[in-house]
Amino acid sequence: MPTLVGVFDSPLDVAETVKRLKGRGFAKLEVYSPAPFEEVEQAVDPKPSRVRLFTLIGGLLGVATGYAMTIWMSLDWPIVIGGKPFAAIPPYTVIAFELTILFGGIFTLLGLLAVGRLPTLRLDPAYSARFSGDEFGVAVEVPERDVAEVDGLMRAHHAKEVNLVPA
Amino acid sequence: MTPPPPPSSGSVAAMIRPTPQLGDSQINRDVMSVFMERPGLGWLLLLGLCLAGLGAGAVTWIYQIYKGLGIAGYAHPIFWGAYIVTFVFWVGIAHAGTLISAILYLFRAKWRNAINRSAEAMTIFAVFTAQLFLGIHVGRIWKAYFILPYPNQRALWVNFKSPLLWDTFAISTYTLISIIFFYVGLLPDLAIARDRSTGWRKVLYGALSLGWQGTARQWKSHTRTTLHLSGLATPLVLSVHSVVSWDFAMSIVPGWHATIFAPYFVAGAIFSGFAMVLTVMIPVRRIFGLEHIITNYHFENMCRFLLLTSLIVGYAYGIEYFIAWYSGVEAERTSFWLRAFGPYWISTWTMIICNGVVPQIFWFKWARTHIPTIFVVSTLINIGMWFERYVIIITSLSREYVPAVWGHYMVSIPELLIVIGSFCFFSTLFLVFLKLFPVIPISEVKELEIHARSHAHGAHSEAH
Repeated sequence: MPTLVGVFDSPLDVAETVKRLKGRGFAKLEVYSPAPFEEVEQAVDPKPSRVRLFTLIGGLLGVATGYAMTIWMSLDWPIVIGGKPFAAIPPYTVIAFELTILFGGIFTLLGLLAVGRLPTLRLDPAYSARFSGDEFGVAVEVPERDVAEVDGLMRAHHAKEVNLVPA
Repeated sequence: MTPPPPPSSGSVAAMIRPTPQLGDSQINRDVMSVFMERPGLGWLLLLGLCLAGLGAGAVTWIYQIYKGLGIAGYAHPIFWGAYIVTFVFWVGIAHAGTLISAILYLFRAKWRNAINRSAEAMTIFAVFTAQLFLGIHVGRIWKAYFILPYPNQRALWVNFKSPLLWDTFAISTYTLISIIFFYVGLLPDLAIARDRSTGWRKVLYGALSLGWQGTARQWKSHTRTTLHLSGLATPLVLSVHSVVSWDFAMSIVPGWHATIFAPYFVAGAIFSGFAMVLTVMIPVRRIFGLEHIITNYHFENMCRFLLLTSLIVGYAYGIEYFIAWYSGVEAERTSFWLRAFGPYWISTWTMIICNGVVPQIFWFKWARTHIPTIFVVSTLINIGMWFERYVIIITSLSREYVPAVWGHYMVSIPELLIVIGSFCFFSTLFLVFLKLFPVIPISEVKELEIHARSHAHGAHSEAH
């Protein structure tokens, strides 16, 4: 199926176009934008990003590691320090806190990579350097018979250009 | 694979994909020109100067490793000297970046985006510089890894009840999280640079940008990631200098054993960090002509922060003296009396005047908008904050409980060279950063611009 790319100036037009295209049943679409715009993201996929799950798992893993490591290491070679119990919770909370943040942060980064499908070795054929300028691109795969219709739809929503991506 | 579009779709068939003409935005061009253009003579001279200073510091350190810590000015009972002072100083500087990126992000303070990239870079470089001093101060650098809990035959583990170990974890976490934060923010801008560069730069930015294309799902995860990292970094930044303060406060040394230390250190860190951002960004803005992006409005807001934190720090100075007197503990009273009127009176009064008195000028609008004034005051604050740590560490250690073990410390020449070397290390990293990465978060600025543009346009077309 050929891929059409519409070039837009405004995120509002992009969001509207995406909604229409999805309503028309063209599910294989991709939006390229120079900056984050909520209306565009909402139109493409209204579900919240799954990055949140990664942060939660990382944080929980961090707090568990923090307490487990400190307590186990203190019991492995027990030495009384400052008259405190071997497994002293208050001082170990500092370590557990730091590891919560550390693991949470690392997992959040991994979440960004996993959910955002990064890294990729090859850029999409539909991508163009202008989409890191200040223009937006809506790429959609359409059956040949619908090319004219989609072209018209995009232009009706203020697409500056509609281009065909060579396969 | 796909045949050309059918001739029936007349208008589309006639179209061929045009060569990508760069419909580029002004902000791209403005920021790209800063770091893509060949470095000028001024930059090269500065870099040379910094490398010379760095070299002098490095040679001194090698000499110290060879001779031992005896060449530092350490003298009984003062074995925490200029190295620890400068370590705490740089950790403090490192706080502005995360404060600007994380806390101001959570508060939706949009003005932060003109300065957050450079502040984040400063954070990372300042943490690196601070960590150098851990190595320099331990003396036997080849045993520095003893501080980490590593599996060993004798099952000797580190002492997790020691604040010094908490510090290891706090600083390492802070380093890694700051790098992650910086990198995540940089990712879209690296893609912008990748699309507009050639040669080795294209390879570098291409690899670092990981194939970022700004798709809707990437941006959505990116926004989420920034939010979560901010949420994680906010308590982290408050914890790091608190933990550093506990290195002192957990002991019973007069002048250190105070519960106010954590908030006092955090406020001081933000204070010194903002001052450093101003000291560095005022010349950078001038040299690269970024006046329309980093405006006086941004500097004025920074000055307000300086004023607020100066008041907190000034309050802490006052309350320290009050508590020393009110506690009735003779050692505390003597320690604080000798701070102000003993052999280290110059450091103490430098600290009070630079940090408590001079920033009060920012009550006046003309001072907050007069660039030379801001530059002078922020530089004085940097000096004052170095002396604050000097006062806290040196005067306290030199006047402990028993007068028989009182001592005197003076910064030695090798220490001075290493401290100067650390400033050169920081400046070298920052100079390289200026020529390698976008100093302004382009995507964030663009977001605001496109928003303004499209909403104005939207309202316009609705009117039709």
